[in-house]
Amino acid sequence: MTTPLIHLVDDDDAVRRSLALLIGTVGLSVAEWPHPQAFLDGFDRESIGAIVLDVRMPGTSGLTVLDQLLAQGVDQPVIMLTGHGTVEMCRRAFKAGATEFLEKPVDDERLIEVLHECVRQHVRTRERLAADLEARERYARLSEREREVLSLVIEGLTAKQIARALGVSPRTVETHRANLGAKLETDSLAQLIRRFALLVEEAGAA
Amino acid sequence: MSQRAAQHDAILATLVLLDPARSGEHPSTRLPALYPQVLQVWRRDADGDWPAPSLASAEALSRASARPALATFDAARGYYDLVLAGSPASFALRIEIERWVPWADWPFRRDGAVKAELGLAGQQLRLQAGEDAGGWRGGVTSGFVFDKVLDTPSQPFVLHVQRSTGPADWPWARLSALAALLAALVAAAAAMQRQRQRRRRAEQLLRLARTSRLNALGELAAGLAHELNQPLTAVIASTQAARRMLDDDPLPQATLHEALTQARDQARRAAEVVARLRRLVERPGGAAAVQPVVLGDAVRGALALLQPELRRLALRPQLDDTGVTVVADPVALEQILHNLLNNALQAMDAVPATQRRLQLSIEIESGRGVLRLRDGGPGLAPEVLEHLFAPFVSTRRGGLGLGLSLCESLAGAMGGTLSAQNVPPGGAEFRLELPLAAAR
Repeated sequence: MTTPLIHLVDDDDAVRRSLALLIGTVGLSVAEWPHPQAFLDGFDRESIGAIVLDVRMPGTSGLTVLDQLLAQGVDQPVIMLTGHGTVEMCRRAFKAGATEFLEKPVDDERLIEVLHECVRQHVRTRERLAADLEARERYARLSEREREVLSLVIEGLTAKQIARALGVSPRTVETHRANLGAKLETDSLAQLIRRFALLVEEAGAA
Repeated sequence: MSQRAAQHDAILATLVLLDPARSGEHPSTRLPALYPQVLQVWRRDADGDWPAPSLASAEALSRASARPALATFDAARGYYDLVLAGSPASFALRIEIERWVPWADWPFRRDGAVKAELGLAGQQLRLQAGEDAGGWRGGVTSGFVFDKVLDTPSQPFVLHVQRSTGPADWPWARLSALAALLAALVAAAAAMQRQRQRRRRAEQLLRLARTSRLNALGELAAGLAHELNQPLTAVIASTQAARRMLDDDPLPQATLHEALTQARDQARRAAEVVARLRRLVERPGGAAAVQPVVLGDAVRGALALLQPELRRLALRPQLDDTGVTVVADPVALEQILHNLLNNALQAMDAVPATQRRLQLSIEIESGRGVLRLRDGGPGLAPEVLEHLFAPFVSTRRGGLGLGLSLCESLAGAMGGTLSAQNVPPGGAEFRLELPLAAAR
C-alpha cells in the first residue's frame, strides 16, 4: 500500500508551509496546493489520505471546493480550517460532508490526531471497496450453473438437496462446487458465505 | 290665510244678517273696495236665482250645515265662490285667491325658491312657482315640504308649501369658507407630514452613514483579525513542528531551520500588520481639518440626531450653554459627541425612567472650552474606569470596545482631552476639553 498523502489546500504560503512542516513531523507525506482550482484539477483521487482545506481563499472558497469534491464522489476525508468559524459555517461544512472542522491557529496535537483518524478511516474505506471489487470480479468468472449452485449452497442446502433441486446428479453438484471454490479463491464454506452472500443476494434481486 | 278665510265667513254672515239690499245699498259695490279679494257679491232672494248652478247646490249644503259652503273653486282662473244660505236672502262671494293671500305677512319671498300651492278636491292653484324641482337645482332632495289645511271648515283648502333645496340654495359662501378652511388644514397637515418625513429621512440617512461607518469599523476589525490570525497560525504551526522535530534522532537540521525561520518571519508579518493599522488610524494630516466650531451648536446637532432614542427613553436633555467657540474638526467632534451621548443613553436604558437624566454644560475653564456630560445611568465600575479608553474594552455584549478609545484619540488629535469620572448621586460624567478659538 502507498504511504498516506495529505493534500493541503491553503492560499497563504506561510500557513501552508508551516502546516506542511508540522504534518511532516509525524511521517505523513504532504502535497501543497496554493490554488483551489489547481488542486481540483490535479490531485490524485486514488491516493490514500486526507484533504485539509482552508475555508477562506480567494476565488474558490473552501466550502465550494468541498461541494465539488462531494459531487465528484471523492472519498478522501476532508478537514476544514478556518480563522473564524461561525456555527452556521460549521453546520454547512458538516452537511456538505466535511469530516472535521478546525479553527486557526490549530493545535498540533488535535490536527495530527484528526489526520491519523482520517487516514485510518480512509484506509478502511478503501479496503472494503477493494474487497468488494475483488469479490465482484471473481463472481463474474462463474458460469450460470455455478451461480445457481452457489446461491443454493449459501441458502444452506446439502449437495444431495441441490442435486434434487437442479435435477442433476450429486456428483455433478460436487464438481460445480469444486470449480466454484477455485474460481472464487475460497477454501471454506464460511469464507464463501462471508464474502459472497451479499453479492449473490444482490444478483438474485437484480 | 286662515284668518282671512274666517273673514270671508264673517262677511257673509254679516251680509246675511244685515241684508244690505234692504237698506238700499248694494254690497257688491262697497265690499270689493273694502276687501280687495272679493271680486263679486251675489244676493239671492228666496224666490231669486243664482247665476250659476254650483251656487245653488252650495247653498243647499250651506243650509244643511249652517255655515258657508264652497261652491266653485276655479284654480285656473284663481278664484272660488263661497255661499252662505240665509233668510230672507242668501249671499255668495267670489274671492280672488291672489288677493286673498296675505302677501304682506307671507313668510316666503315671492320670487324665491319656495313653491306654494293651494289645493282642494284635486285642483291645485299655484300661488307661487318657486323653483321647480324638475330644474337643474332640484332632484337632489325633495326639499322641505309642508302641508296645512286651513282651519276654516267652510274653506278647507290645503296649503302646500315646498321648498326644494338644490345646490343653488346651499349656503355656498359658508360652505366654501368651510371647504377652504378644511383644505387649508389638510394642506397644513400634509406639509407638516412631508416636513416630518423629510426630517426623518435626513435622520435616517445620517444614521445610515453612521451605521455604515460602524460597519466599516466592524469590517476593519474582521479584516484585522484575519490579517493577524494567518501569521499567528503559521508561527504556532512552525514552532510546534520544530518542537516535535527536536525529538527526532538524528535532528532534521534543514527542516528545523526552515521551521524556525518560518516562525520568525511570520511573527514579523504580524508586527507589520499592527504597524500598518497604526499608520491607518493615525491619519496623515489629521490636524488640518480643524476650524472654529460653536460647541453648543455641535451638541444640539448631535442631540437632534438622537431624538428617536431620547423620545424612547422619555428623556429631556438639559443643556447649559454659555456660548463657547472651540477649535475642532467638525466631523471628529460630531463622532465624539455622538459616541458619548449614545453611551449615556445606553447606560440609562436599564435604569428607571425617573432616574434618567442627561445634563450637559458648556463653559470656559482655564482658557479651554469644556463640555460636561452627565447621565443618570449606573455609573462606571472601578475596573472599567481604569481601562475606559483602552481599545477593545467594552461592557456591552458584542461591543467592539473601540468607541471611547476612538473618541479619546480623536480628542487628542485636536489638542483636546477626554476624561471620565463617576458623580454623585450616581451616573457618569464625561468631560471633553478643547482649545478655544482665538477671540476676534
